[in-house]
Amino acid sequence: MKRKNRWIVSIGVLIITIWMGIGIYCSAQEKVLEVGVFAGSNWDVANANSYVIIDKAIEKFESTHPNVKVHYYSGIRREDYSEWFSRKLLMGEEPDVYMVLGEDFNQFAEIGIMKDLGPLMEADESFNQEAYYSTTLQAGQYRGRQYALPYETVPYLMFVNKSLLTREGLSVPSNHWTWNDLYTISERVTRDTDGDGLLDQFGSYNYGWKEAVYSNDAELFNEEGSQSYLNDEKITEAIRFTTGLAALNENQKVTKDDFDGGNVAFMPLTFAEYRTYKTYPYKIKKYTQFQWDCITMPAGSAGENRSAVNTLVMGISNSTDKEELAWEFLKLLTYDEEIQMDIFRYSQAVSVLKNVTESEEVAAILQEDMEKDEKIIDNKLLGEVVENGVVTARFPKYSEALAMADSEVNRIISAGDNIDNSLRILQRQLNQYLRQ
Amino acid sequence: MKLKLRDIRIIMMGVNLIAICFVSIFIYYTTRSICENYAAREFLNTVNTLPVRPAGVVLTSIVLYMCLVASFVMRERIYANSIRFALGSLVFDFFVSVAIVMILNFNYNGIFFLVFASIISYSKGERSKYFTICLALACFLLTDQELLSINYKLFLFSDYVNYYEASAQQYYIAVFNIISSLNIILFIIYCIFMIQQQKGTIEEINRLNDAIRKTNEDLQIANNQLEEYAKITEKMGQTKERNRLAREIHDTLGHTLTGISVGIDACIATIEAAPEDTKVHLEKISEVARNGLLDIRRSVNELKPDALEHLSLEVAITKMITDMNSITDMQIFFENRTKELNFDEDEESAIYRVIQESLTNAMRHGHASRVWIVIEKKDGEIELSIRDDGIGCNKIENGFGTKHIMERIQMLNGSVEYKSGDGFTVIAKIPVRWGKEYD
Repeated sequence: MKRKNRWIVSIGVLIITIWMGIGIYCSAQEKVLEVGVFAGSNWDVANANSYVIIDKAIEKFESTHPNVKVHYYSGIRREDYSEWFSRKLLMGEEPDVYMVLGEDFNQFAEIGIMKDLGPLMEADESFNQEAYYSTTLQAGQYRGRQYALPYETVPYLMFVNKSLLTREGLSVPSNHWTWNDLYTISERVTRDTDGDGLLDQFGSYNYGWKEAVYSNDAELFNEEGSQSYLNDEKITEAIRFTTGLAALNENQKVTKDDFDGGNVAFMPLTFAEYRTYKTYPYKIKKYTQFQWDCITMPAGSAGENRSAVNTLVMGISNSTDKEELAWEFLKLLTYDEEIQMDIFRYSQAVSVLKNVTESEEVAAILQEDMEKDEKIIDNKLLGEVVENGVVTARFPKYSEALAMADSEVNRIISAGDNIDNSLRILQRQLNQYLRQ
Repeated sequence: MKLKLRDIRIIMMGVNLIAICFVSIFIYYTTRSICENYAAREFLNTVNTLPVRPAGVVLTSIVLYMCLVASFVMRERIYANSIRFALGSLVFDFFVSVAIVMILNFNYNGIFFLVFASIISYSKGERSKYFTICLALACFLLTDQELLSINYKLFLFSDYVNYYEASAQQYYIAVFNIISSLNIILFIIYCIFMIQQQKGTIEEINRLNDAIRKTNEDLQIANNQLEEYAKITEKMGQTKERNRLAREIHDTLGHTLTGISVGIDACIATIEAAPEDTKVHLEKISEVARNGLLDIRRSVNELKPDALEHLSLEVAITKMITDMNSITDMQIFFENRTKELNFDEDEESAIYRVIQESLTNAMRHGHASRVWIVIEKKDGEIELSIRDDGIGCNKIENGFGTKHIMERIQMLNGSVEYKSGDGFTVIAKIPVRWGKEYD
């Protein structure tokens, strides 16, 4: 019996020694924090400075965290990122901190691969979520939990062909303009300029029913994704407005060429596109034949000058063994004002931090791009647009449901069907799909 | 039979290993294939959740399963005789199997049948065996993946199967179903065997019971015969004794009386003619009569069974003790605390018998090695105590001579007390007779 006890004790001591040895060895080893980022812009615009911000962040992080190395795979394009990340995920080798594309976020949050950041946010006293624009924060929420923090955001704006308006004797509308203004101006400018019997100058290009819905204070779906509100009065109104706007074109299809040729007054575009084609070197590549600028989206009768905001979020792997480091690094990328300031310098998006976006420094950076007399979008307004922006719903069937609604509504608009009846049917179909 | 049951469990062990390897390795290879075919993002849309590391799932589940095998081997071979080890290892097995099922995200839960097959083999009695079978079924049903996936996010084997084209899907599902069904069938066979064996054991017990009853009856008959024989022997002894007595009387008393009567007849005839001669003759007759009396006394003495009849109580007791000491290992200490043991015959007899009976009990039932006998006078009573250091007895049963002692003492208006603790003590109290002073 005594001999047996001695055996057990010595085996126990051996195990503990090995375990402690491994522990000491591991803690002395350099820790590698893996980060998942993609090259290029999230906003379909050219970006030569893909890794500048992340490199700066890594440098800053490594200087304050000795023994930690931050690593990322470079050269993964945005269009390949989703698949690359999914492969890593399937093999259980996903990065500790990673960017999540808007189209992936719902599914990733649903399958539980992202860490719920709530407890980390609460435990960190130096962190205050009020610093973010609420809409950007919402982009990282799923079923009431914060799974990701915003990294950069981009609101939709309305491109205005200033040359065309001036030619027609019109001035650029104010940032508080309405549907009525859009309609009146469109009606004025839509005409046949060369007398061939066909319209060759148009009011708007690509302004769709969804843009109208967002600016009319309407929601397409409820938050849980169990109900669609397509039959809502505000949506009906928005679709009716879009139909009216489309009718001005007399069944003629407005194309990108018309727009690029300077023959269209308005087109929605992202802030990223605005920044890209307003600054050197891309300035000389597009929209060179006319003067242009950006203003807010026109407000609907029941809504405001709101538009969709698109936010790139970053999350932490649910299975990371370096939770604290991952959180520190995520915070550095998304919460550090110095890094966030670089969003304006090296990316084309808007910082998600109120303090950064609305700072004097950003005002100066934005002014650099513009000619002296122009000052249409200032950073204060930008902040407002972001804060008041519309965040698209986040539930698993969202993209499918939206695609169904989009194609059907577009069909209704072009076919000129009875809007009320068609929408009632569509709503029923969508609800059925959502509840499946 | 036992060997057969263990064989089933070993086969089940193999089947479960195949099942666990099949599920985990299938998921691992499918994951690799998905990645190689650039179908990862699309695949994500079809799943509820993912295993943290497919390679890790393979490794952990197989390592844990090896722990189960090791526990089985140790329980059945190395520590086969330790019930405590068996119990501990069965609890260990259960928790390991829960861990495996959880690591596999409930894609395979047939391993519970393997563990419960082991538990059944160690549970005693039919009821507890049925209970364990029910527990196994409960574990199996409650860990049903479809049931659990209502509330929990689980990665599903079927999601991975769906990645393949339809014909391959059917093939993989069929393989998996065959393995898990085989496991269930083996468990059912095991249970049937186990229950049959249980039934066999009961029959065996009944058969043995019958045999014991029959032997008992035989024994009873033999006992009766023995009693009968003892009675006959006793009767024969009595007859023999009577014959001896008759012979003794005939030989001594008959002889003497005959001599006396013949002598007296001769004296009657000669008394008047020769009175002097007759006188001499009568003296002779008287001598014969005295000698005859001596003979009779001798004969009677020979007939008396005990020393008590012709010895004093104290000497008789001492003699009994000496006799007893000489024939057994038992040490007997006798202490007389009264001045003189001077009692009436019935009292002496009772005291002598009580001591004799108690010593017999101490030897036969108490297996005592030492006995202390004390006689003393206390409060107008004679107290006799016989204490031994034997095993005593929990319940004082009649028939150990105790009843006999009781009767004897009660006849003298005394009382008897028995104490059983460390050894056995008999305390008999006899009141001092009226008008008699023993001291």
